[in-house]
Amino acid sequence: MLTVTSLSRAFGGVYATKDVSVTVPEGELRGVIGPNGAGKSTLFNLIGGHLRANAGSIEFGGARVDRLPVHRRARLGIAIVFQGARLFPEMSVLENVMVGANAATRAGAVAAALRLPSQRNEERGIRQRAFAALGRVGLAAWAERDAEALPLGQQRRLQVARALMGEPRLLLLDEPASGLRAAEREDLSELITELHREGMTIMLIEHDVSMVMRLADKITVLDLGEVIAEGTPAEIRRNQRVIDAYLGGEAAHADAE
Amino acid sequence: MTRRIPALVVCVAAVIALVVPLFLPDLSFYIQMILAAVIVTGLSLFMGYAGQASLGHGAFVAVGALTVAVMTVRLGLPPLLALICAPILAAVFAYIVGLPLLRLRGHYLAFGTLALLLIVQAVIATVPFFGGGLGIFGVPPLGVGDAVISGQLPYVYLSLAVLALALLISRNVIRSRFGRGVRALAGSESAAASSGVPVLRTKLAVFALSAAFAGLAGGIMAFFTPYVSSESFPVATSIAYIIMAVIGGLGSLWGGVIGAVLVSLLVQVLNAVSNQPGLPATTGPVLQYGAYALVLILALLFIPKGIVPTIAQAMRRRRDRRADAAAPTDVAVEPWASVQG
Ligand SMILES: Nc1ncnc2c1ncn2[C@@H]1O[C@H](COP(=O)(O)OP(=O)(O)OP(=O)(O)O)[C@@H](O)[C@H]1O
Ligand SMILES: [Mg+2]
Repeated sequence: MLTVTSLSRAFGGVYATKDVSVTVPEGELRGVIGPNGAGKSTLFNLIGGHLRANAGSIEFGGARVDRLPVHRRARLGIAIVFQGARLFPEMSVLENVMVGANAATRAGAVAAALRLPSQRNEERGIRQRAFAALGRVGLAAWAERDAEALPLGQQRRLQVARALMGEPRLLLLDEPASGLRAAEREDLSELITELHREGMTIMLIEHDVSMVMRLADKITVLDLGEVIAEGTPAEIRRNQRVIDAYLGGEAAHADAE
Repeated sequence: MTRRIPALVVCVAAVIALVVPLFLPDLSFYIQMILAAVIVTGLSLFMGYAGQASLGHGAFVAVGALTVAVMTVRLGLPPLLALICAPILAAVFAYIVGLPLLRLRGHYLAFGTLALLLIVQAVIATVPFFGGGLGIFGVPPLGVGDAVISGQLPYVYLSLAVLALALLISRNVIRSRFGRGVRALAGSESAAASSGVPVLRTKLAVFALSAAFAGLAGGIMAFFTPYVSSESFPVATSIAYIIMAVIGGLGSLWGGVIGAVLVSLLVQVLNAVSNQPGLPATTGPVLQYGAYALVLILALLFIPKGIVPTIAQAMRRRRDRRADAAAPTDVAVEPWASVQG
């Protein structure tokens, strides 16, 4: 599904991502962990097209995508939930989610201005799916509110709902659980598990290592922009390099559970 | 945002707009106000919804007016054809200049569009075919074949029809997949792009649409005046469009109309004051610029979002509070994944 080959990206001479190769087969839930500044978000931004690589290639669904602009990659099925909340503050919660459908629909400005029947049909479909997506993340009661007014936890949910509207084949989740309360984390884990069961390919960046260990099929560990380990949660927990560089106490803690 | 204004208010306003010109001795002011509303409605789409800036929207008014003047006077083509071409050429022009311009952001885009207006003025002033130093006189009246419009009133109703059309198109566009993409750009370009919104192409389309409104208004103006020169599109007028848009409320469908009406009326009152005998000739411009500055500063201080959004927000707050009182937020938030999608 996704094949990243020797991907590098530098900021002012310092590599944020250096010679990273990752292959994620269809339907896998891949955890991505690493200390702060390891280059995790940079990797996602490269895959999503928000950053251009200095070297290397990205293949998605059998075709090179690294030269495509962001919206084209979104149309191919790459969706991203950003680390910070990037909402559309002037729009309602429902409208925010409806924007997500732009990646999977087509009616243009002219069809809209003339309110052609095809366009109105599509609108109805988008609206229904948006309500369903909001229900799925537990925000249905907030549909008509200003997105601006949402508390952080709800903003996260909103971003997830928006990403789902594009009918993604690859969902990139960048620390979706940070800032959430324990109960909200539990709900989020459940949703991720459910999407995974439905066959969606997911990459999950998360500092809560025990959560990643629980959810992921395989884990990629980054440090200083490089992949230092890759394997099943059990393998990662035992990997000496990972323990030295990053896990330390956290792995011991996860084992104790 | 698309905030619904009660249908009754709209109907009353429409009736007033249709009846008032019957009682005015001279309609120049009235028609300019309506056409300003058309232009500002388009500008508000571009500035308010897409979150961009244009200090030189007069450039597209100029292209529309010039299209009419050149096609009728210079080329002897039918007036109606010229009027139809005015918005189209303005949109095409916006699309072409937008290709480089819309890669700029914020202040750079504002200055870029201002420069565009200055360049258009200079081109009109120096190319004799476009009027040169004299301008193009004697634009024929609008008409089809031998049926020709005479008097001012038909132009007023034509302008009102165009305003209604502009509002209708804006409303349809804002409430669509495309329009949501446009509004998303104002919030976060990166999030919009990853939702499948082609950033540059979308900006270009709104820019062209708003230029089409301006071009159509310019075309009607050319028939009405009936004269076009490089001095017909002063920078101050383009600034006034922005003030109208800001006061009425960027990103609101009716904000452009409200802003255009209020600012036009204010300018009209100031003109009446400065025309009192005994005042120096400079009183008019001084008063006008002073009033623009004052109104803008007051608006930014007290109603930064503009009139229409401020009222709409107050109404919405009240509704939300009532909803909160009925259902506490703890109940309103359900767990995730409660509905199987
Ligand atoms: N736009 C940018 N300009 C300059 N430097 C950047 C930029 N984005 C990232 N970096 C740098 O690249 C490195 C990797 O950043 P990145 O955000 O990918 O880390 P991360 O693994 O996501 O960290 P965190 O866990 O804190 O989110 C950091 O040193 C960061 O300062
Ligand atoms: Mg990060």
